[in-house]
Amino acid sequence: MFEHVLSVIIFLPIIAGLLLLASPASRVIARFTGLAVSLSTLVLSLDLYMGFKGTGLLECVENIPWIESLGISYGLGVDGISLFILMAGSVLLPLVYFVFGTKEKGYYANLLIVQGAMAGAVCATDMVLFYIFWEVMLLPVFFMLGLYGGPRRLPATLKITLYTIAGSLLMLAAIVYLGVSYHAQFNEWSFAMDKMAQLNLTGQVAAVAFFGFMIAFAIKIPLFPFHTWLPDAYTEAPTAATFVLSAVMAKIGVYGVIRFVVPVFDLEFARFAILLAYAGVIGMMYCGFAAIAQKDFKRMLAFSSASHMGVIALGVFCMNIQALTGSIYQIVAHATSTGVLFLFAGILEERTNTRTIDDLGGIAAKAPVFALYFAIAMLASVGLPGTSGFIGEFMIVLGAIKFNTAIGVLAGTTLIIGVCYMLWMFQRVFFEKTSSRAENFKELTLVEGLVFLPVILLIIVMGIYPHPFLSKITPSTALQFAQPASVVAQVPASNVQYLGLTIEQK
Amino acid sequence: MEQSVNYLGLIPLFPLMGAVLIGLLHVFTCKRTALPEKVYGILACIGPVLSFVLALKVFVALKALAPEARFLTHKAFTWFSVGDLHINMGFLADPLSCLMLLFVTFIGSLIHIYSIGYMGGDKNYGKFFAYMNLFLGSMLVLVLGDGPVVMFVGWEGVGLCSYLLISFYSEDRSNVLAGNKAFIVNRVGDLGFVLGMSFLFWGIGGNGFDYLSLKANVQHLEPAIALTVCLLLFVGATGKSAQIPLYVWLPDAMAGPTPVSALIHAATMVTAGVYMVARFSFLYAGVELAGTIVAWVGILTALLAAIFGMFQDDIKKVLAYSTVSQLGYMFAGVGVAAYSAGIFHVFTHAFFKALLFLGAGSVIYALHHEQNIWKMGGLKNKMPKTYITMVIGALALAGCPPFAGFFSKDEILYSALATGHFGIWAVGVLVAGMTAYYTFRMIFVVFHGEPRDQHAYEHASEAPNVMTVPLIILAVGALFAGFLNLPGIFGGDQIVSHWLAPSLSEQHPHGNLFVEILAIGASVVAFAIGIKIAYGKFGQGAPEPSFSGFADFAYHKFYVDELYDRIIVQPYKAIGSSIWKVIEPNVTDAPVKGVTRLYMVLGTAFKVFQVGYVRIYALYMVLGLSIMSLLLSQSLN
Amino acid sequence: MMHCYLYLSIILFCLGIVGVVARRNVFTVFMSIELMLNAANLAFVTFARVHESMDGHVLAMMVMAVAAAEAALALAVVILLHKHKGKLDTNVFSLLKG
Repeated sequence: MFEHVLSVIIFLPIIAGLLLLASPASRVIARFTGLAVSLSTLVLSLDLYMGFKGTGLLECVENIPWIESLGISYGLGVDGISLFILMAGSVLLPLVYFVFGTKEKGYYANLLIVQGAMAGAVCATDMVLFYIFWEVMLLPVFFMLGLYGGPRRLPATLKITLYTIAGSLLMLAAIVYLGVSYHAQFNEWSFAMDKMAQLNLTGQVAAVAFFGFMIAFAIKIPLFPFHTWLPDAYTEAPTAATFVLSAVMAKIGVYGVIRFVVPVFDLEFARFAILLAYAGVIGMMYCGFAAIAQKDFKRMLAFSSASHMGVIALGVFCMNIQALTGSIYQIVAHATSTGVLFLFAGILEERTNTRTIDDLGGIAAKAPVFALYFAIAMLASVGLPGTSGFIGEFMIVLGAIKFNTAIGVLAGTTLIIGVCYMLWMFQRVFFEKTSSRAENFKELTLVEGLVFLPVILLIIVMGIYPHPFLSKITPSTALQFAQPASVVAQVPASNVQYLGLTIEQK
Repeated sequence: MEQSVNYLGLIPLFPLMGAVLIGLLHVFTCKRTALPEKVYGILACIGPVLSFVLALKVFVALKALAPEARFLTHKAFTWFSVGDLHINMGFLADPLSCLMLLFVTFIGSLIHIYSIGYMGGDKNYGKFFAYMNLFLGSMLVLVLGDGPVVMFVGWEGVGLCSYLLISFYSEDRSNVLAGNKAFIVNRVGDLGFVLGMSFLFWGIGGNGFDYLSLKANVQHLEPAIALTVCLLLFVGATGKSAQIPLYVWLPDAMAGPTPVSALIHAATMVTAGVYMVARFSFLYAGVELAGTIVAWVGILTALLAAIFGMFQDDIKKVLAYSTVSQLGYMFAGVGVAAYSAGIFHVFTHAFFKALLFLGAGSVIYALHHEQNIWKMGGLKNKMPKTYITMVIGALALAGCPPFAGFFSKDEILYSALATGHFGIWAVGVLVAGMTAYYTFRMIFVVFHGEPRDQHAYEHASEAPNVMTVPLIILAVGALFAGFLNLPGIFGGDQIVSHWLAPSLSEQHPHGNLFVEILAIGASVVAFAIGIKIAYGKFGQGAPEPSFSGFADFAYHKFYVDELYDRIIVQPYKAIGSSIWKVIEPNVTDAPVKGVTRLYMVLGTAFKVFQVGYVRIYALYMVLGLSIMSLLLSQSLN
Repeated sequence: MMHCYLYLSIILFCLGIVGVVARRNVFTVFMSIELMLNAANLAFVTFARVHESMDGHVLAMMVMAVAAAEAALALAVVILLHKHKGKLDTNVFSLLKG
């Protein structure tokens, strides 16, 4: 692990992607470049992971002043929370280059750019830098969806783009508000995240800024009722984009809540947590119910993904360490299970030319390895003990019970709701009589089988022996709960009177 | 106090490793030249047999300890640990889990051996054994887990395996639906279990969330929370052990291969609920209300299932309902705080129910997968070994002294009476009579009288040795297992109860000779009446009856499945499609659509000004500038 | 005295505006724009004289240079327009109509 490893992880894919766009490379070259770059990113990330000490504080910190007059800096760093989202992206994205037929150059270039931007958003410790990566993240998705998506891609593209940008602008306003408040309270400019935690924010404007952040993240997660862009976008996007959206990008929304909203707006957060928790739970049930009504398996998985994201978000809102840790663990588990399920759905679609559940059947008999992999990912997604999905889900339900009994009980129903639509889909697609479309279904090739194997093993290892992973997460989550109280304690009494000091008074 | 032994973890590991190995072998060879069946069969039996040997070792090790110190633990590794929550992947062997361990591995091994014969010729032979091994491994995790969370791993694991095995013949939609039903209904119970665990954790779990720590801290638990926890855990038990209202999956689960039915219904999965209540006896003992609810739910389930059992025409469904009914007894036992009696019934039931199922499997095998009892008849001449063993099993099930079922059932009924639960005892006696009736109805129809289907009868023959030997061994068990816990009135000293005592928080009711004789007498009379009616109706052969009135209602299982479909499944689907078709586009997405519509309206409105002529634009400019300069001049003044 | 020049400038400017807004021939519109420019020039020069500063003169020269350059471009555009539609009526060119 060297000094600027984070910068390399971020900018290597971005620069490679841009060069690829500019160069006249052929499709095959593009694919192999993408593969090579994402694999080298994976190696770097693994190196980072091995060297990660798990102190709970930011590690591998880079801090270079950027716009000094406004106190904006190029600051990077990872802690136990961001590390796992970074790793989820680095580990899972190389899969995409292996599995499908060769696509256009732009497809791979965009994939690389989005990978770098997501890593950047997760590692940024400066809010302005975070915002830049956050916006850059959306562009490749826009292009992938608009250029390489399904037949009804254009409305979906417009919807996701406008929806997300609307949220982002609210967040931008809130970031500016935070910067200005910091200037007002401490008489210096800064947008660094750790400094923001010292802010004292109360009053109407703070609540508005809180919702500015919350809505931006809620759209990305997506949290009920801001999820309506999701079914169309997930369904129409090319599989790789769906995979990126569900496996990593949605998680960055949750990450944003943990990193910005909880430490900075601790008072507002505590005030509205119950509301948000209900949004999470209702979203989980709502999307879970909607999933059962789907005829298209990709759309069903989209709703399933949204349903699980509701649970993950709930874990953050419950404000206790079990739920928060469970939520971060579930982020990784969900990336490996639902993310991989989307890839499998892509394989199914590519080989049978249909996305309709009723057109399929009997695939288990034709492709036992594929069925086995699919089943393991599916069981992880429904939270079976022994797979990665259980640990997180259990801790979230446990924490939710502590937070609020009603919410805990409702959150528990995810156990039932998830299994209903998944089993129903599995029955129709993999069991029963072989349908005409599945007649010539090809088993996974050796390369595909071997490529998925580490992820499948990861699902099981994470379920059976999660301790090594958790021991890197818990110090950071524990710190999250140590912070707000200490911050409140540190605030000098004189400052308390300035709590109302906000922009309008300046 | 407790002693750590590192071979405990191996007990579940053997079958689990067997499952992985067989599964991989099957997956990689099934598309090419399949391995010979023998390879799978032998591989599959190694795991359970090794586990059984280790279980014996555990038993010997426990026996060597003083009764109060009979705890062997093994902490394999820290499973997860966050804040106050410390969960170890740990195993605990105490007298209770050791007893379960012994008969689960013993009967599991026998069923594996039997399956070698029964499954012969199936194209998914390897898959079957992989699932069976996984099933047994999960069950052993359930039994050995040192805390509720580890138990939950096995708890869900057996649920998964039952799903996989019930939908084993997956080409037929109804089988898969039965599997789905089993898994989903089990999940409903699991929700209760998870919630129960959560409440328990926030109650007293902070100092360690394993049984020994919980037991040590149980007095700090608030009564209201204790009641909640007990009831929620019992919801879990009703799912796994097929009690009202979640029993509906079990009869449907007969879609799986017969050895699966034996494994699910006899030795393993369904008894998990009873085991769990006994495991948490320290909790239930303190909450009398919870115990009463458990007992009443149990005995009512027993009654309901017995009613259904009297009218079934599928041999496996008769046995399925008898299982539900017997499970009801067990819950009645643990509900009235006679934990050892409940567990003892689990133990004896494992023998005779496995025996009956395997015997039924043997009949089905001989008749080429015919399961309707009204197509059978007179088979006792063709299949003498099966006949004799099944009669032994039936006598044990019906509670005929001195077979195994008599002692264990009597123990439960006696405890109910002695603790003052007169209603439960009365219903229990009634159910005992009904049990005798439907069991012997089945025996008489299948084995006695004239063959109803001459063609099938001609081709029927005794099953191969690999199937009959397990039957005989189980029959011996069904005959003699009851003597292990011979009550004092017959000169025994209740070995099993004393063995279990350190694990359970129970107080034995004071022996009252009159009560004891009353209980035994009533049971025997009920048995005799039941068997007499059955003989009178079916002993000499009888035509297939046609049902009407109440019988017809019971034949259709009180239309409970249809009711559930109407009030749960259909509304669920309706909610799903209404969310997707109505609420999502018209309510949730309405604000978003509203914003787009607003923009559309504004756009249309402002379109009027976009006339397209340059000079008009110039005019706008002039007007705009004029207004601006007017305003400017005003503000300057 | 100054007022007379400024009034003249205003009148010229208004004539220009009227020409731009009301006339449809491209050339007339173009000439009206030139008229407005010159009205502005007149005002510049007037103020320069009054304040005895060279700034106004400089600006006037600047405007004339720009106007010349603009005329060159504009005439090229007009020729293209004529080639395209064969007419010099501004109402023909209404592609921006909403």
